[in-house]
Amino acid sequence: MASSSHDAFRRRQARLGWALSAPALTVIAAVTIFPICYAIAMSVSNVSATGSGFSLNGLTGNNYSIMFNAPQWRYALFFTVLYTVVTVAIEVALGTAIALVLERLTWARGWMMALMLIPWSMITVINAQLWGYIYNPTYGVLDDIFSRLGLGAPVILGTKVPAIMALMGADVWKTTPFVVIIVLAGLVMIPRDYYEAAAVDGAGGWTIFWKITFPQLRPTIALAVLFRVLQAFGLFDLPFVLTNGGPGDSTQSLAILAYNAMFRDLDFGPGAAVATSTALLVVIGCLVFLKVFRAQAGTEES
Amino acid sequence: MATAAASAVLLAATACGGSSSSGSGTSSAPAVSGSATSGTITWWASPITTSGSDPRTVLIKKFEKAYPKIHVNLQSAPTDTDTNRSSLITTISGGATSPDVYMGDVIWPGQFGKAGLAAPLSKYLPKSYFSQFAPGLAQGATYNGQVYGAPFFEDEGFLYYRKDLLAKEHMKVPTTWQQLESEASTLTKKKDAKYGYVWEGDSYEGLTCDFMEYLGSAGGTVLNSGMNGSTLNSAAGKKALSFMQSLITSGASPKAVTTMQEPQAMSAFASGQSAFLRNWDYGYSYANTASSPSKVVGKVGVAPLPGFAGGTSPGTSTIGGWNLYINPHSKHVAADLTFIKWMTGATAEKTLATQFSEIPTLQSVRTSSGVVSSNPVLAAAAKTRLIPRPAGTPQYAKVSQAIYTNVNSALTGSAQPGPALSSASSAINSAVSSSGSGL
Repeated sequence: MASSSHDAFRRRQARLGWALSAPALTVIAAVTIFPICYAIAMSVSNVSATGSGFSLNGLTGNNYSIMFNAPQWRYALFFTVLYTVVTVAIEVALGTAIALVLERLTWARGWMMALMLIPWSMITVINAQLWGYIYNPTYGVLDDIFSRLGLGAPVILGTKVPAIMALMGADVWKTTPFVVIIVLAGLVMIPRDYYEAAAVDGAGGWTIFWKITFPQLRPTIALAVLFRVLQAFGLFDLPFVLTNGGPGDSTQSLAILAYNAMFRDLDFGPGAAVATSTALLVVIGCLVFLKVFRAQAGTEES
Repeated sequence: MATAAASAVLLAATACGGSSSSGSGTSSAPAVSGSATSGTITWWASPITTSGSDPRTVLIKKFEKAYPKIHVNLQSAPTDTDTNRSSLITTISGGATSPDVYMGDVIWPGQFGKAGLAAPLSKYLPKSYFSQFAPGLAQGATYNGQVYGAPFFEDEGFLYYRKDLLAKEHMKVPTTWQQLESEASTLTKKKDAKYGYVWEGDSYEGLTCDFMEYLGSAGGTVLNSGMNGSTLNSAAGKKALSFMQSLITSGASPKAVTTMQEPQAMSAFASGQSAFLRNWDYGYSYANTASSPSKVVGKVGVAPLPGFAGGTSPGTSTIGGWNLYINPHSKHVAADLTFIKWMTGATAEKTLATQFSEIPTLQSVRTSSGVVSSNPVLAAAAKTRLIPRPAGTPQYAKVSQAIYTNVNSALTGSAQPGPALSSASSAINSAVSSSGSGL
């Protein structure tokens, strides 16, 4: 009986909680859930943009068939996936390595962290402008270095492969610190006893890393990868500032493609289809990643 | 009597605004003619020049002196034209009644007219108003028989050159592209300048403008007269693109032009690194103003762009510049029209020309001796042959993208001129034919 009155109390509390958060939830629904639903609705409708707003006239699968048949979309998908996989892999490897070093530092750790946060805390557009100066073919510092080394004056952002690598470099520079912070938080949570026990057993550095540190870090790294994949897949500001999708359309990401279709060409239907399918792809990608990661963790533990 | 007429007009304006008709609607009363004498309107305009006093506020002050009861609020727009456009599209399609008047690119009438994002000015203003402008300007602002933009100031491509370097090597100002190419390569070979000729070769709208000039000089076009098919993949197209490519391969232009937009090309020239420059009207004052970071003050000359050897000289210059448009949701159409008529009238145009060296749109001001003698750019402008971009189609943005991405690929060497043109051509065809909906 005591427990049922306790349950009733909890239900009342829950109701009150919902009531109190209702205004905030309404705002969130209005500014995020509604636009998402509207974008999905747009992607399956005949959209016409007029001076007095959009009108959705009837259902159609046309937007998606336009998208699937467009070579630009297939290339943008390839580019975005390639970009995501490469940058996230480098950032996680580099970030973990840096975090391992930082963990050993004592008084310098705080200073190093503060230093590393500078690139991460900078707005991407400003970050991109700075890299634009570095990559500039007429007065950029990188070209100056190349020409002093006798390697000529490459036009980095005007050549396909170097342009892609340049974007990746700017991304790695900016977001590796983010991975470092997350991994470092995971590192300091690992109990000291594990390392002491391993040392007593006579394990070497590599063995300790692969048998103790890495398995313990797994959930933390998974979290870092998830955050990074979500962000990298929506790649927009770096190419928007640095290359505008060029040379040709070799750095045109899915987000740039959707933006151009919607706000430059006023093709809101196909643009919404690209946006919706991009979101869907990244959600599926993350779910698959989590599943694989968990399954692997399970087999190792058993 | 004047006030009575004005208040009648105002009444009509409010009635019109209340119905909030879109551009395609026919309910708007054409009785509104732009003789309102009071009200407050918002003008959306991006910065016109970056140095000295702001032409926008100078003009607003003069306007408010002429019409003391009309107050104009300036809303500064993004300097990047594409960002400017997307902000306007989202604002106006959301039904916003402000800004009332906006300054927009000359290539917007097709897209904005079709989507009802601009009010058709020709419904309010007589033919005689539009015929005062330089030939082609009002026509360029026309979509489907209606004029959507009032030509505010014009712009076009010019050739800037270093007088001192040409004199040193006893060279003449080039009148053909081939002459420009050989002089530019000679000047770099003799180490007179690091680069010969810089222009806008990045993958963006500016490259379409540059390409149109070579294409026009070669006698080519982009679209057929029905605006529903590409004519780009022609002998003239190949001549234009092969020549642009050869500028880079011959060393007349650096490889870096394929990443240059106006500011980069301008700074390469103004810092003394380049002997020739293709840029818009602002290039002259930028390079010759002592307060700017220019190192070539007093050494710069300006000429119309060259043509191809054996063809007409001078070559063609792409039309750029800005129009004034009315938001179809504006509640002050009468005051908007008063403002637009004044801003495109003789006083404002003369101020723009003599004080800010912008090219005036009014034919009478353009050719007046006071304006022509005030500035070498305006004198050169009187000699150029103008060519419009194919902006009569609402799909212009896609047509232009097909041009600049493929031309840029050819310039960077990742495609040959032939395949690049046929790829651009097929992208243009799929954009302008049928519904035109696509990526």
